[in-house]
Amino acid sequence: MTDSLIILLAGFFLPLFPMSMVFNGILDKIEHSWLRVLLFLTWPLIGLFIVFSSHVMLPGWLLPLALSTSALYALRILSLREVNQWSGFLATSLWSLLWLPMMQATPAVLLLGYAISMSVPLVLLLLLSAGLERRFGAAYTGLYGGLAWTIPRFSGVLVIVIMAAIATPLFPTFFIMLDLVIESVSATPLVAMVLLLIWLLWSWAGARLIQGLIVGRGSGVNIVDLGMTAISLYTLVLILLAVGGIYLSGVIL
Amino acid sequence: MERLIIVVAVLPLISALLIQLFAGRIGHSISRVSVAATTISFLLACLLLWMALKGAGPQLLPLGNATAILLFDPLSVLLATIILGISLIVHLYSVRYMAEEAAYGQFFVLLDLMTAALLFMVIAGDLITLLIAWYLVGVLLYFLLGQDTRSQTAYRFSFWTLITYRIGDLPLIFAAALLYNAYGTWSLTAIFAEIMVNPDTHQFMGLPLTEVVAALIGLAAFARSAQFLLHTWLPYTMDGPTPVSALMHAGIVNAGGFLINRFAPVFVHSGDVLNVIFIVGLITAIFGSLLMLTQNDIKKALGYSTMGQMGFMVMECGIGAFSLAIYHLFAHGVFKGTMFLSAGGVINNARDDDGIPKDELYTFAVEKRPNKVRTPWLLMAAITLAVPLVILIFSHLLIAQDYFHKQGAIILLFFGWVTGAQLIFATYRMRTQNVWRLVGLSVLSLVVVVLGYAVISHAFDVFLYPDPVFRAQLYSAASIELLRFDVLVVIITLIIVSGWVVTYYADESGYRHQKSKHLWFNFYALISREFYIIDIYTRLARLLLAISGRLNVWLRWL
Repeated sequence: MTDSLIILLAGFFLPLFPMSMVFNGILDKIEHSWLRVLLFLTWPLIGLFIVFSSHVMLPGWLLPLALSTSALYALRILSLREVNQWSGFLATSLWSLLWLPMMQATPAVLLLGYAISMSVPLVLLLLLSAGLERRFGAAYTGLYGGLAWTIPRFSGVLVIVIMAAIATPLFPTFFIMLDLVIESVSATPLVAMVLLLIWLLWSWAGARLIQGLIVGRGSGVNIVDLGMTAISLYTLVLILLAVGGIYLSGVIL
Repeated sequence: MERLIIVVAVLPLISALLIQLFAGRIGHSISRVSVAATTISFLLACLLLWMALKGAGPQLLPLGNATAILLFDPLSVLLATIILGISLIVHLYSVRYMAEEAAYGQFFVLLDLMTAALLFMVIAGDLITLLIAWYLVGVLLYFLLGQDTRSQTAYRFSFWTLITYRIGDLPLIFAAALLYNAYGTWSLTAIFAEIMVNPDTHQFMGLPLTEVVAALIGLAAFARSAQFLLHTWLPYTMDGPTPVSALMHAGIVNAGGFLINRFAPVFVHSGDVLNVIFIVGLITAIFGSLLMLTQNDIKKALGYSTMGQMGFMVMECGIGAFSLAIYHLFAHGVFKGTMFLSAGGVINNARDDDGIPKDELYTFAVEKRPNKVRTPWLLMAAITLAVPLVILIFSHLLIAQDYFHKQGAIILLFFGWVTGAQLIFATYRMRTQNVWRLVGLSVLSLVVVVLGYAVISHAFDVFLYPDPVFRAQLYSAASIELLRFDVLVVIITLIIVSGWVVTYYADESGYRHQKSKHLWFNFYALISREFYIIDIYTRLARLLLAISGRLNVWLRWL
């Protein structure tokens, strides 16, 4: 009974449907971008802390529930147009997969690395989204478009950040997904297939987001592009992520 | 010396980095960096190819202590040279062609990254490097095709490419995971060595692992090489810049042929999968050619032509002629690349003068007015059917006495015969003053083509698969039961000959039969809608998006 309650509690932070709706509800209410960033960085860590500090035994039904939560949100991202909401849904889809390595007794440090690696690209996306809100009043696909034309440096960073978020090589999420597939392919091939489908849906959603923002003729209004300092900082974090991905590949593969 | 292959692959990466850093300061001259890097890489690749021809390698080249391994072997060196050759031409062409584009520097960054990804793909000696390169080729192609970010159409179709490529990535990842779980290593050489010794050691869901992996690899190759049902992206990606179209049709789309060749040690134990690959290739070749012939848009026709060629390439793999597929991808790459790169010049010249001589060929091919004056029908039919067959038989007897024991070779001969016969059949219907001179020239050209094919095919075979036992195993794996094979050949021959006869009488009667006319119109409507495949996919995609939207409404967007 206690175990189930702890898992239910953890299910708010390592999202399991329907508890996952709480995280997205909170995200929807937060106006300040730095609070959103804080939420993204701490939320899955709280979940990991709950599970590891309680030494709870994870039941078998968690696997289908975690997978379906991830798949549900991956499917739902396809029709989203608001960037913050998009980030929240992708985070839900990503974090719910953390239950899988947890059930395979993956060390806590590695899981911590997984959670941070999944969150960092989304944090960058939230910051870029805040940049869009400052410039255009909203971070919304299909509303203005043509960012590649109006703010090319900004859109360059945006594209790479989205790529990092949807598990493109050489970013850590790619290797995490690969590891999850390897771990499940022989014993539970169906799980591996669902994981691959979820991955495909992320790519689809990512491409839609990119197209909705950067493609088009633009507004024609003069908009301030990303400054060199900001570019350098974003680039540094992305390089660190890629290096982290390569390092992670050496550890987990 | 073999380690030079690492330099070959890394140089385009360095070039991309330099351009990204200095494009803003140097301006358009930055393209020289890219061209210089590609030229040096190409020259080094030529040197390595020469070494491989002299017998160097195969050799594994680990990158530090990491899992990543590069492979110096005939297949990797040959393909690296081809990729760099085509890439160099595309680079040189792009220097001026892209000069007026806003994102000039970015284009060369992407082009260099694409070249590097393709190189890493062909020289990968481990599954992880192969997976990463394979995946990145799709992503980079998406951005190259969408180079013009103002064009919604370009991005719409580059999205089709991306999603098809991602669909193709999934079976490859699945196959890689299965192989790693079974053999405990990422090294392709180690995996293949174990498979060669004990092919039936591992099973997956009650099936031999080699068969399952071969099927998955085949699926990945189908998506990348635009095989039927996974082909819709190819004819529609013409809104990208011309150099990208050239690179795509000449190089990237051939990746399926490469992948099947790379996994030849798996396919040699998967005869049933090879048979399926042959059928898929055959269907693709037929549908691609059929759709090519009925397109009004010349660029779409070129796209479907590539699809047909990819079908032939995959079909060659399906009959065990793996090395011939590599020759095919090389020959097709050069041919199609030239067509795309010269397209702009042709259009420009055509504005002043269409340059088409209104001769017999024009009236026959363009105006569809065949000559009514015909030479003796029986004599021409005899020449049509017999000459190519005789030449093919002799050319193979000269090279390999036992060729007719291999079903793959017979199928190749069969297609040689069909192609040759069609050539003469078409030529014969044209007006000419001297029939015998015409026939003589046709036969001579066929001799050159057939002998060239036989000699080159043999040379590629010996270079890529030097072990004669392995070569024989490949043909043997692709073969089917003799009686079934003979029946199939007879049926296909009858279908083709009937097709010729129907075409002949249709021309003679001038398509006057009302009933058959109606049937042909319906058939034409079906083809002009491209068999409704794209419509079905679009409906399915919209349905999925609608489900996604409906779910969000029900769940209050939380």
